[in-house]
Amino acid sequence: MNTIDKKLSLGQSLFSEEIRISYKGPVDGKIITFLADYIYVVNELSEKATRKIFKIFFELAENISKYSSEKIKLKSGKEVGAGTIILKETVKNFILVTGNPIKNEDLIPVIENSKNINNLGHEELREYKRAVRKDDSVVRNSPNIGLIAVALTSGNPLDIEINPIDEETSYFSIAVKVDK
Amino acid sequence: MENIYIEGSHTNFFIPTVDFNAETGVCVLSGESFLEDTIEFYDPLVQWLEEYTSEIKKPITFEIKLTYFNTSTSRSILDLLNILKEYEDEGGEVTVNWHYDEDDIDMEEDIEDYMLDTGLEINMIPFDEED
Repeated sequence: MNTIDKKLSLGQSLFSEEIRISYKGPVDGKIITFLADYIYVVNELSEKATRKIFKIFFELAENISKYSSEKIKLKSGKEVGAGTIILKETVKNFILVTGNPIKNEDLIPVIENSKNINNLGHEELREYKRAVRKDDSVVRNSPNIGLIAVALTSGNPLDIEINPIDEETSYFSIAVKVDK
Repeated sequence: MENIYIEGSHTNFFIPTVDFNAETGVCVLSGESFLEDTIEFYDPLVQWLEEYTSEIKKPITFEIKLTYFNTSTSRSILDLLNILKEYEDEGGEVTVNWHYDEDDIDMEEDIEDYMLDTGLEINMIPFDEED
């Protein structure tokens, strides 16, 4: 099993008990809201953790929709990004994992930002989020503020993995842990 | 000046309920906000608030009861609150009440961050989701 399969828990473990949600395909508003609602269906025991997963899910799913280099044309004619979304449950945590191909030119700022985020404490992250939110040049069209919000909500480091596909594209995956 | 009323929905996207009343000065934003085009949705609200604060000039009570909003929406909320702060600085009477689930620590921090960003006093009103 290669590293991507391990991270996304595809292959043999796909139907293991720890997987609560598994989705691969186009990520548009309809599937995002459906899966978001379903998070509450599968995690009814931990309200606090479920709320956090719900918030993190939206940001990561939106990033797939906007930045995945694999585009799928819907019946409406609209093109949306495609990718994989997995929600796993362990004894102590929930782990939300998303993956999608991405153009290398879009990847570099995401990697740099993720490293920066992982080096900041909670209060520093709040300050960083406020600074980015005020910045007209980045806030509307950048995955970065979403990743800051993800790290703040999770309270755990962002686990990023990059696997080159070809000269122009890489497979980007991110795993975010939420304590129960 | 026209009122704005938008019935919230929870279907392909999450559209918040908007109830901006020019006669009473009470503006309510509630529900969840995850939109296909955040700017398109919030720009009319920003324009309404700018018009109210420059032409009607009566007291305004802004009630936020959002249980979820994405980061794109968070910028639009900042724009709305900045208009209210500007109005207050010019002598306008502004009250902002933000209702949030008492167990939602992240939302509590978000409200605190908005107070720091805008300098606006926001009344934080926790509620018990069970109620």
